[in-house]
Amino acid sequence: MAILEVSNIKKIYTTRFGANKVQALSDVSFSVEKGEYVAIMGESGSGKTTLLNILAALDRPTSGSVRLDGHELSQIRESKIAEFRRDNLGFVFQDFNLLDTFTLKDNIMLPLVLAGKQYGEMRARLTPIVQKLGIEGLMGKYPYEVSGGQKQRAAVARALITHPKLILADEPTGALDSKSTDELLELFGKINQEGQTILMVTHSVKAASHANRVLFIKDGEVFHQIYRGNSSNEELYQKISDTLTILMTGGERR
Amino acid sequence: MRLGFYPKLALTGIAKNKKTYIPYILTGIGMVMMFYIVTFLSKNDAVGAMRGGESVQGFLSLGITVIGIFSTILLFYTNSFLIRRRKKEFGLYNILGMGKGNLSRVILWESLIIAVTSIVLGLGCGVLFSKVAELLVSKLLNSTVGFDFTINKDALGMTLKWFGVIFVLILLNSLYQIYKSKPVELMKSESVGEKPPKANWLLALVGIVLLGGAYYLAITIQDPVTAMILFFVAVIMVIVATYLLFIAGSVTFCRLLQKNKRYYYKTNHFISLSSMVYRMKRNGAGLASICILSTMVLVMISSTSCLYIGGEDMLLQRYPRNMILRTDAADTEYTEYFHQVIDEQLREHQQTEENIVHYHYVSISGIMEGNEIIFDEDKLNSSVDYSKVWSVFIIPLEDYNQIMGTSETLAEGEALIYATKSNFKYDEITLDGIGTFRTKKTESFVANETDTMQIMPSLFMFVPDVTDALNSINDILAKMGMEERAYIHDYYGFDLACSEEEQTEIYNAVMDRATKEYVMEATGLSEEEVLQQNVNVSFQSMALQRDGFLALNSGFFALGLILGLVFICGAVLIMYYKQIIEGYEDQSRFEILQKVGMTKKEIKKSINSQVLTVFFAPLIMSGIHMGFAFPLVSKLLTLFGLMNTRLLAIITLGCFGVFALFYILVYLATSRAYYGIVSENNLD
Repeated sequence: MAILEVSNIKKIYTTRFGANKVQALSDVSFSVEKGEYVAIMGESGSGKTTLLNILAALDRPTSGSVRLDGHELSQIRESKIAEFRRDNLGFVFQDFNLLDTFTLKDNIMLPLVLAGKQYGEMRARLTPIVQKLGIEGLMGKYPYEVSGGQKQRAAVARALITHPKLILADEPTGALDSKSTDELLELFGKINQEGQTILMVTHSVKAASHANRVLFIKDGEVFHQIYRGNSSNEELYQKISDTLTILMTGGERR
Repeated sequence: MRLGFYPKLALTGIAKNKKTYIPYILTGIGMVMMFYIVTFLSKNDAVGAMRGGESVQGFLSLGITVIGIFSTILLFYTNSFLIRRRKKEFGLYNILGMGKGNLSRVILWESLIIAVTSIVLGLGCGVLFSKVAELLVSKLLNSTVGFDFTINKDALGMTLKWFGVIFVLILLNSLYQIYKSKPVELMKSESVGEKPPKANWLLALVGIVLLGGAYYLAITIQDPVTAMILFFVAVIMVIVATYLLFIAGSVTFCRLLQKNKRYYYKTNHFISLSSMVYRMKRNGAGLASICILSTMVLVMISSTSCLYIGGEDMLLQRYPRNMILRTDAADTEYTEYFHQVIDEQLREHQQTEENIVHYHYVSISGIMEGNEIIFDEDKLNSSVDYSKVWSVFIIPLEDYNQIMGTSETLAEGEALIYATKSNFKYDEITLDGIGTFRTKKTESFVANETDTMQIMPSLFMFVPDVTDALNSINDILAKMGMEERAYIHDYYGFDLACSEEEQTEIYNAVMDRATKEYVMEATGLSEEEVLQQNVNVSFQSMALQRDGFLALNSGFFALGLILGLVFICGAVLIMYYKQIIEGYEDQSRFEILQKVGMTKKEIKKSINSQVLTVFFAPLIMSGIHMGFAFPLVSKLLTLFGLMNTRLLAIITLGCFGVFALFYILVYLATSRAYYGIVSENNLD
């Protein structure tokens, strides 16, 4: 069953008086099955971020449709959209986006507080997640007191705590050192195996090589995709590299 | 092309940052205008020529210094804020290849544009409104001025010089800031990783105790003398307490609320509370200053305007009748002479006395201990607690009945009493060496200048016969080793129907005949004998006193009004900038919140509640301060002879209301600007 269906979305940015038009996405279609781990790759300016914003309902496509768990995003009323996002989507960002006025614990509980949950329930949900992520000792700390890897794990915990249908990760390893990157990717693999659907946008071949499937975007279109099949991470890494080389050198679609 | 490059860059810089530059330029214009107007008034010949004008000008020249210093501080403060905001932009220019020399030229042009705009527009408005100010002052003084329009060159020069120097100093400071910093630092905008503020229980507790103590003092003090002594103690306690509460108390309070999980983990409280902790840490001191400043200003304006508006009242307290003759003599026969002089003069001017108040009294001061008044020189001289010193006026009951139109009678050993400025609550009173009386109370008697002008409380005692008291007082005086005998004071006040000018004429004519030579001639006594009589005469005309009185009160009032206006504008401006800074810092925070799933509506609500709290905390606090200060201020004003508590209450409320209204308007503008900044790029 497809949890996310993207069909023929197009996004054109217009300057205020309509003088200039920039086409960010021309025609993107793909779908993500429940429990899948999908990476989207593409160069700067290929439309990755635009796509992610549209999937996150932060932006609306010019045309085309996005269905998340059967709900057409464009049909959701403006007033309900934040609630929808909160209940169905979890976000992990490159720069963590933790609030520095909150402790890690409060940062993680933030979506639940916004959803108006009872404190007892929040606690009950918090404990298993932070234990799984190995940050239970840091709950009283503030973001500036912990390392980047720990911050990102807290951000993952914040994304997981609402039990979202889909986790959207935007360059999650972009600001991490190699050790933390490895740890985070391992973590992503682990939560995916537990059934969590993940969609990750990335530059990093290494990060993408942990996914089940890799989509390539070029000039606002899905240019190519690779399924993992039975390949190991290393083999997938090699395939992605090859594909990128072809992409860069302007090769034709295979 | 090259010629216009820097000015152009400077102009775009200002235009791009208009949210912060326009208030800055407006401040400049406002300060220049106020400075010119005050200087103009204090140097203007037309104002000097008004009755009481010189005294007003004296007060205003004090105001020049205050406004000068205040505007320097305010302009420096706002400029340092502007520079901080623009460092990033300058950093970019620097990296793009503009040297610090080039940057300096941009800053030079910017400063020049701002300074010229501020000074030219400020002086323009100043010159325009100076006539209005002149008319207002003439109105205050019940005087008139012509409609000719003047520009005072001295005032113009002084304003130019003062603000020229300020702007040059500000320019130097900005240049220094740019030279000091490195390009990388310039690029870095705000620092990250601010330490979370800690709750300081001790300081918060000290603050509460101090504030409670000050409030307790303010509402429990009964007599004006103690009020005056303890007023400053209370003010200092309130100032310290306000700082402690805003800095430590607020953080502690937020932390306390955060400890309550059920309260804290609610959508409405969660975001606001955790941001408030940081806000209060950063702004506590500023908010406390604003609170204190506005309280002081409001108290100042309301009491000075009360003194001005209640001036006539005060005059009547002091001079219950148009003309007052007080003769102090040991024997009453020579008192007659002055009554005769007045009769003669009134006949000459074909006037008759109206509303006559005529009574005699003997008086003495002593220390009140319990229900006993002790007359002991040593104690009187060593007494530090002035609130215990009372003046006693002993007056024949007959005079009381005649003046008040009553027919009070007293039993043996009984006295009718009336106390001013304090309460006498005992049923019996003992005057040491004079006797003990059962007391019967009355609520009114005509005001008397001696009582009004001194800060000690007075006890008016009405007894059937004052001769005993007089003799006893003479004994007391003799015991103290004083040679002179006690006076019998003859108090004679009356109204005249004629104009104030004619009253003054009569007054002058009477005063001419109050000389020794006239007395000798009229009574046939030798010079020596006259001197021996030890006679004191005071004759006062309300008409003459009114001018001086009015001048003093108007001076106070004008100064209070102008300074109040300037301070309040300053305080509000600081609030505005504080909110703008906060806005820039909150920008990224709200972006995250939106990504995490907060609706725009929720964000707006949260913004509103925070801005509202920060903005109105000082206002509410200063309102509470004023409420508690009220009893104290009203007691202090009785020392100036102002007894009208209702007038003070109305004026205080009025001042607070106007201030609050102004505050709300600024709030609306500020929250708009704040919201605009926070929602830049991400909301709407």
